[in-house]
Amino acid sequence: MQHKESEGKFETGSGIPVKVAYTPDDVRDLDYERDLALPGVPPYTRGVYPTMYRGRLWTIRRYSGYGTPEETNELYRHEYREGQTGFSIAFDTPTNSGLDSDDPRVGADVGIGGVPVCSLDDMEILFEGLPIEKVATSVTGKAFSHVQQAMYFAMAEKRGLELKELRGTTQADILTALGCMNYIDQIAPRHAIRLLADLVEWSSEVAPRWHPVSFDTYNARENGVNAYQELAILMADAIAYIEEERKRGRIPLEQYIRGFSFNMGSHNDFLEEIAKFRAARRMWYRLVKDRYGIDDARCHILRLHVQSSGITHTTQQPLNNLMRIAFQVLAAVLGGAQSVHANGYDEGLCLPTEQSMLLSIRTEQIVQHETNVINTADPLGGSYYLEWLTNELETRAWQYLKRIEEAGGLVEALESGWLQGEFRKAIIEHQKRLETVEVKVVGVNCFEMEEEPYQVRLFRPNPRAAEIQTEKLQKLRRKRDNQKVEEALRELREVTKQGENVMPAVMKGVGAYATMGEICNVWRDIYGTWSTPIGL
Amino acid sequence: MRMKVEGETKEIRVLMAKPGLDGHWRGAIVVTTALRNAGMEVIYVGNQTPQAIVEAAIQEDVDVVGLSILSSAHLKLIPEVTRRLHERGAEEIIVLAGGIIPREDVPLLKQAGVDEVFQPGSKLTSIVNYVKHRVIHKRSPSAI
Repeated sequence: MQHKESEGKFETGSGIPVKVAYTPDDVRDLDYERDLALPGVPPYTRGVYPTMYRGRLWTIRRYSGYGTPEETNELYRHEYREGQTGFSIAFDTPTNSGLDSDDPRVGADVGIGGVPVCSLDDMEILFEGLPIEKVATSVTGKAFSHVQQAMYFAMAEKRGLELKELRGTTQADILTALGCMNYIDQIAPRHAIRLLADLVEWSSEVAPRWHPVSFDTYNARENGVNAYQELAILMADAIAYIEEERKRGRIPLEQYIRGFSFNMGSHNDFLEEIAKFRAARRMWYRLVKDRYGIDDARCHILRLHVQSSGITHTTQQPLNNLMRIAFQVLAAVLGGAQSVHANGYDEGLCLPTEQSMLLSIRTEQIVQHETNVINTADPLGGSYYLEWLTNELETRAWQYLKRIEEAGGLVEALESGWLQGEFRKAIIEHQKRLETVEVKVVGVNCFEMEEEPYQVRLFRPNPRAAEIQTEKLQKLRRKRDNQKVEEALRELREVTKQGENVMPAVMKGVGAYATMGEICNVWRDIYGTWSTPIGL
Repeated sequence: MRMKVEGETKEIRVLMAKPGLDGHWRGAIVVTTALRNAGMEVIYVGNQTPQAIVEAAIQEDVDVVGLSILSSAHLKLIPEVTRRLHERGAEEIIVLAGGIIPREDVPLLKQAGVDEVFQPGSKLTSIVNYVKHRVIHKRSPSAI
């Protein structure tokens, strides 16, 4: 009897054609020892640790912050009581742009989408009463995150804690703020990466348990590129940081790379995303080992934080997003992530509410404790399709990486606008496919409804955040030792010009309660400001 | 009062902006591209304060200002744009908004002088047609 296939193309989210079934023939060239092996063993395709989730479950890390440092401190205390073992600071856009809350351009953006942290004072308020020695914190900054990490470290020092005991991650990546979104008042990528490489060097000396950088392609992916492009961009990002240190040769590369961590998105093509996470680990191992000839196993493993994809969530019928989030979380877990953030189902309508964030945490806990997927590492390994797809993504990613390198590598590709052009093309192409219903989105271009079937509560940010922060800043500027601030900023200017590692001077400035804006202005004065060439 | 040539022959001019610091640019990219493909002149100014947006709109003599915002600051920033346009005697410029704007906020924005709000998932053809229709109507109210 003949079975007819339904009409339409069968391909992955990245446009890779898919056959009706896969057989051993499709993975003929796969060598188990070379390409897969056990978890915790090179090339780490199947996971970075031998016992994977039996040894340690992934960290449920909620990216949060809003209003004022005082309000967010209450939220963090609540999260800690609920059993969360890690914090991830969502800074507001002014802070992440390196601007103070009282800058005349930023008022409306203070305290929305994140918490303002203008000085050490705010950082101390943010973590008041929280045992930071017992948790791992993500300082989820952007291109000026070395200042944010310095504030966190200065806060720890004031408590008498040893920096070498601190655990956490800084998202000291240039890609998001300088290539994936428009942040105002930035410095050019070549200068930003110099300062962030300073952070990586310095952290590897003073805080070896800290991950000073998390290469982030979550936002690149949100800009429309596909799974294998995301893989290539991730590698290009890390390569740019390695090349920066190679030019200087200040510390051994092994020491520099050891602290790297990674951050990717989890999208809708369930099996392709799983293949992507597996391919990422194998690519990283091969890159470090083969291209850079590094044998230190601590440099070989790609530790991964994954976030469910905001761009896949819909404004229409928002409860449907819960299902999307659950599948994306499951893909991250079957792909072996070390840390997962599940978005709120309501983020197509507003900033997430307490209720939606609780559901996100519960979603992850259900996967951890009810589905039994944690029992065995890489449970889908060996599937003809998954192994074929992992290979295919890797092959295509190396090819795309070559194109990025032909465009001059990540820094040059950002400065010239080449990468932003790739995003633009991908965004426009995706929109076309949505409108022609080549890509289906339930509730948007199929199964639409006139009336919204679900009632959703909305979150409203604190409208007084900018006012409160401005008053605090005025007070701070009056009561701190301004001469000490001036001296520290002068020193920062000097070491920046001389090309020395800026971090000791940043720590001094932060310790004197210099503000985010004052510190970043030193670099704006020296390097000038830069805005990303979006090409519109 | 600024003078404008009446009729349909003059090219439609649009200023696209992102008020405040919100970095999400996907919506602005697709809408800018779609309006250009439909033959309109679109000036993309990116992230700007309401004041700068209004200055640019007047200087560029546009028919339409498109504001894309996903940061939740829409109730602060968008009415400031319309208020400043009004103060500058440029209230004939049509203000359109799009992004993450809850439905219950749409009447508030319309009260403040926003002509229309486009939700995520809006079809580009409907945005393009809306702009054409509104500008032509505004230029010569009898021609519909």
